[in-house]
Amino acid sequence: MWWILGLVLLIMKLIIVISVLFGFAAYMVLVERKLLGRFQIRYGPNRVGPFGLLQPLADGIKLIIKEDFVPRTADRLVFLTAPAVVAAVPLVITAVIPFSDDLTIGGTRIPMVITDLNIGMLFVLALASLAVYGIALGGWASNSKYSLLGAIRGSAQLISYELSMGLSLVPVVMLAGSFSLVDIVNAQERLPFILVQPVSFVIFLISAMAESNRIPFDLPESENELIGGFHTEYSGMRFGLFFVGEYVSMIVLGALTAVFFLGGWRGPILPSLFWFLLKTMLIPLFFIWTRATLPRLRYDQLMHLGWKFLLPVALVNIVVTGGVMLFMGW
Amino acid sequence: MPRLVIDDLEIEVPKGTKVIDAAERLGIMIPRFCYHEALGAVGACRMCAVKFIQGPFKGIQMSCMIDAQDGMIVSTTDQEAVDFRKRVIEWLMINHPHDCPVCDEGGQCLLQDETVSSGHARRRYPGKKRTYRNQYLGPFIAHEMNRCIHCYRCSRYYQEFSGYRDLGPLQIGNRLYFGRFKEGRLESPYSGNLVDICPTGVYTDIPARYKVRRWDLQRSPSVCIHCALGCNTIGNAHYRAVMRVEARMNPYVNGYFLCDEGRFGFSYTNGGADHAQRPWTSKIGGADVTVEAALAESSSKLSEIAAVYGPEAIVALGSARNSLETQSMLSRLCRRKGWLGPVWFTDTAVYRKVRSAVERLDSGIAVSMREIEFADFVIIAGADLLNEAPMAAIAVRQASRKNAQIVVIDPRPISLPFEFRHVPAVPGQIERCLGSLVKGSISKEELKGLDSAAKGFCKALPAKFGDKESGISIPELADQLMASRRPVIVCGTGIVSESTPALAADCAQLLRESGKKAGLFYILPGASSFSSALLSGPDAKGFAEILSEIEQGSIKALIAAESDPFRDFPDRERLDKALSQLDLLVAIDYLPTETVKRASVFLPSSTVFEMNSTFVNPEGRVQHAERVHAGGVPIWGAHPPRIVRNFIPGGDHQPAWEILWKISAETSVLESVLTLGELIAAEMPAFEATGKAQYPVNQARIIPEKSEGSFVKPKTRPEQGQKPKGFNLLLTDRIFASREPSVYADTLEGVFPEPALFMHSEDAAAAGLSDGDTVSVGLEPGSIEVKLSVSERMARGVLILPRQKGIEWQRMKDFSAWIALERIRKI
Amino acid sequence: MAKEKSVLRDLLDDVMGLADSYAVTLKHLFRKPITEQYPDFKRLLPARSRGRIILTRDPEGEERCVACYLCSAVCPTDCISIEGAERKDGRRYPLWFRINFARCIYCGMCEEACPTLAIQLTPDFEFSKYGVLDFLYEKEDLLVDHQGKNADYDYYRHAGVSVEGDKGEHINEKPPVDVKSNLP
Repeated sequence: MWWILGLVLLIMKLIIVISVLFGFAAYMVLVERKLLGRFQIRYGPNRVGPFGLLQPLADGIKLIIKEDFVPRTADRLVFLTAPAVVAAVPLVITAVIPFSDDLTIGGTRIPMVITDLNIGMLFVLALASLAVYGIALGGWASNSKYSLLGAIRGSAQLISYELSMGLSLVPVVMLAGSFSLVDIVNAQERLPFILVQPVSFVIFLISAMAESNRIPFDLPESENELIGGFHTEYSGMRFGLFFVGEYVSMIVLGALTAVFFLGGWRGPILPSLFWFLLKTMLIPLFFIWTRATLPRLRYDQLMHLGWKFLLPVALVNIVVTGGVMLFMGW
Repeated sequence: MPRLVIDDLEIEVPKGTKVIDAAERLGIMIPRFCYHEALGAVGACRMCAVKFIQGPFKGIQMSCMIDAQDGMIVSTTDQEAVDFRKRVIEWLMINHPHDCPVCDEGGQCLLQDETVSSGHARRRYPGKKRTYRNQYLGPFIAHEMNRCIHCYRCSRYYQEFSGYRDLGPLQIGNRLYFGRFKEGRLESPYSGNLVDICPTGVYTDIPARYKVRRWDLQRSPSVCIHCALGCNTIGNAHYRAVMRVEARMNPYVNGYFLCDEGRFGFSYTNGGADHAQRPWTSKIGGADVTVEAALAESSSKLSEIAAVYGPEAIVALGSARNSLETQSMLSRLCRRKGWLGPVWFTDTAVYRKVRSAVERLDSGIAVSMREIEFADFVIIAGADLLNEAPMAAIAVRQASRKNAQIVVIDPRPISLPFEFRHVPAVPGQIERCLGSLVKGSISKEELKGLDSAAKGFCKALPAKFGDKESGISIPELADQLMASRRPVIVCGTGIVSESTPALAADCAQLLRESGKKAGLFYILPGASSFSSALLSGPDAKGFAEILSEIEQGSIKALIAAESDPFRDFPDRERLDKALSQLDLLVAIDYLPTETVKRASVFLPSSTVFEMNSTFVNPEGRVQHAERVHAGGVPIWGAHPPRIVRNFIPGGDHQPAWEILWKISAETSVLESVLTLGELIAAEMPAFEATGKAQYPVNQARIIPEKSEGSFVKPKTRPEQGQKPKGFNLLLTDRIFASREPSVYADTLEGVFPEPALFMHSEDAAAAGLSDGDTVSVGLEPGSIEVKLSVSERMARGVLILPRQKGIEWQRMKDFSAWIALERIRKI
Repeated sequence: MAKEKSVLRDLLDDVMGLADSYAVTLKHLFRKPITEQYPDFKRLLPARSRGRIILTRDPEGEERCVACYLCSAVCPTDCISIEGAERKDGRRYPLWFRINFARCIYCGMCEEACPTLAIQLTPDFEFSKYGVLDFLYEKEDLLVDHQGKNADYDYYRHAGVSVEGDKGEHINEKPPVDVKSNLP
């Protein structure tokens, strides 16, 4: 009987996590548009519902009822599946993220994580690099020069930043002594890693920004030179999936940052779930702020930053962290 | 050949060239208002001031008043000259009204251009503007005297160039006025040129009044088809309507000018003011159908008739307003398919006269209108230039202005805008009069120098044409002719006897062989009568014969390509009956003719403004008219409809040759068989002989170096004995009202001359008739009622009846008739 | 060492530059938006703003347009078509005057070209329709019953062509010359 209860719990957790995630992603769009508006001294959407609160709904309806257009020369199957890949990958990552302290109901401890993998961080890194398949395949299958250019940029960018991202997390693992995300959160009981590893945090933040293809790293879609890049040929809900994927991954990266550097759900006084959500939202908000502030990088600047700055700094950081740990005898 | 330098460019010009012309040859357009190449220089406007830096003149001088001389160094851009011209403009603009927006000249105004280019924009003079009252000048020309800048171009053109006196300068100084003493229609049939010649908007044309601006017009070089001369024009179309026709400068044909018939007689192509008169759509049995249906119907009917009755049961009619392309196509189809025809003229005699005229022209003797202007003795035999070929009269006037003697041998009450000696000879006497005049001019020494053929011809010419008959001393004129160097014979082909064109050619040849630079110019009956004579053999059947074959039932189908026998044939009753016996009458036309109304199948063809076409003028000059616009029912007069269409209403018309080709059912596309140039060259060897069988050909002359068969022995005696009693009724042309496109042009309606029968005053007195009486001329079946006009300046024993609208001359049985005195009754 | 120092200085400069820009955007976040809430709030536009075109009348109430074709000539999108005609009293006027607003770019060159101040652009810019043919405005749609921006200009008082009355009655004109008189 316990396994049935476990299954029910799992399914409930899945449903809750996915719906919360989608809801957040949808409203993240609204928040971004509103915030961008205010950053640019205007209002942002305020026509649909009070304060434009129903705008995501309207957008969703619009995207669903729009024609789903497939170019004549496109590789049809690949073209149709690519958006799903982009949207699915960040969802899967959420499986290993602990979002709250364990809940105890009737003496039974329910872990507030869908599954606590002992190689959670490797899982996260592996899946994060999978997301680029959606972009690369979508761009390729569109059979359009803009899409292809966008796809190539996307792949190149991912390879460059995946590396520094992974390396920036090595000190975290070294400090936590585990790949499990739950263990990493637990390891920050005394001190969040951001204070111990600020350099790692910065590298991770920049890499996360690049991973999620956001300004100033949105070269794959750069709408004013590539007409939208990899999603030029997409329309309707398939374009919507790309969009959802981007925002979900933004939230997931926020959650990962919270877990790796901000102490996860840990926090004083308030319930742990609240702390988790608060910390999770900090990163997307920062991304939006960045979008309002920074211009897009040039391609060579992007490569320069990734290979010649972040990578060496991350390596040095690992060595320094190792040395300090050795010296302190942790 | 003086050499001079203008704006640092050196040029050598013929002696006597004005500096303004020398500059124009270099491409430097010195501003001018009063100077015009055709009118000469008067130095009235002071606008062409330039600075003479070195040479016989120094300082600011008028470039139109000074002949180019060796060593001159001229600057048109010198600051002093530029300032001078700027002040002149400012001064001319002092009284010019502020009405460019409502002036039709705006956009094509010399004054506007010069004002803008001089930079004058603000009137500094605070005084009041001078004003004038305007005059009514007839239905063609609007008068707005306030705009005048006193350049005198209009009066110089009107009085000196065209030879009419009713418009000119009145008053002096700043009060100078150009107009008529009393309001009224301008007498000159060349008044339209005032519009072209006026450098500003004093004279604007009424048919296009307020309708359009120059920049909106679709313009193409075209050729006038109203008479045979082939004057060069510019067609101007807007909103699918031809708005205006302007003269196009061609030094060999019409110079800078155009007659009013050609200029204002274009509205047939628009279907009149309401656009309803032109037949725009194809018809079968009077009901509108598509072009494809009408083509298929006529094509299948024709092949059916050819299969049942043989191809000779089909006859094709052409006309003298066909283009050369249409004529060649008709000729080709008749030759290849065995159809009868083509018949170009309903009057076979006219056709024979045109043929003999065209045969006798060679490049040595044929003169252009330009060369007529330089003649010093002009004999006009059997031609009423003003009515038959108006621009030729202007050309002869230029000769007259250079003191040439002009002799007109014609029975009609000729009036021409210059001084001339009129020998009112009846048609039978024209040859004798011409012959004796030419014979008298050959001195004994000259006679000795001639070869035997010429000598024989000269001897056979009648010695005397009595002074009594003519009222003019022929020997005196013959002496003047003897003294002349460049005599020109202008010979008509209308009322003259069949042998006259050939005799005129022989006389010109004789004058040439006696050492003069003699010329010959024929007045032909239609825009392409020259080419029709080159296209079919002399054995072609006449229209009367065709008609009797129709009556006998051996001809079953008739194709009338831009031809209207109902207009041209004098026996309408017979024609009516005969045509109703036909199985098929295919009419291809752009005019609402009677034939079109009667046709069993009608197909709309393109006018000269709607297609590329070629016409040959009486001196054998091939001239190409370019398409001005695509045609279709004009938009003028009402809102264009608020709908989106993918076709042009009334745009079904196509060139007649194309229709003929399609209904002949050979192939659907002509180009797959041969090009238009090849088609024309195959039918007309002379066309190929120009060495320019490429199409289109423009301004090449297709007359041989040397014609064959000269010096036919003339008839020595006047035709006597068989002369019937009574008056010889002659059918003649009349300006504005008798030629085919003109009578369908409602723009000309205001100037149609009153229908009249002309008669000598003594004949009229003998019959008890007086000027202004309405008379009835009794003919076999009916009678013609017409006003009588009496003149002393015409031959006795003839009645002149213009073939004009308003006279039902088609009741005559034949092309000429003898009317007994008692059959002319007053009513 | 000097080089390393300068690298660090550069890095610091870069970071400060980034921080500066973040600060600027952050400041903007708390400013009051300058947006006008268009359909709820409509701002009064200046008379010279370029919107829907009208044809005005002169102070006498006659239509000012004389069909001079200058507007259609100057129009860069060729959206104006006119047919000029003559009224019975000799006044030049447009028989029909059509503006295809689907083509019009509201550049105002027609207004600048108009010598009689007839064609004028108005501040009305709310101009959308469902059918393209609805944008075809005829003279009846364009003509208004006022003088627009220029209340007292009457072209025919300056023109010198007489429509009604005699010559010489316009502004700044002498009486007409009597050509039959010898008096100066």
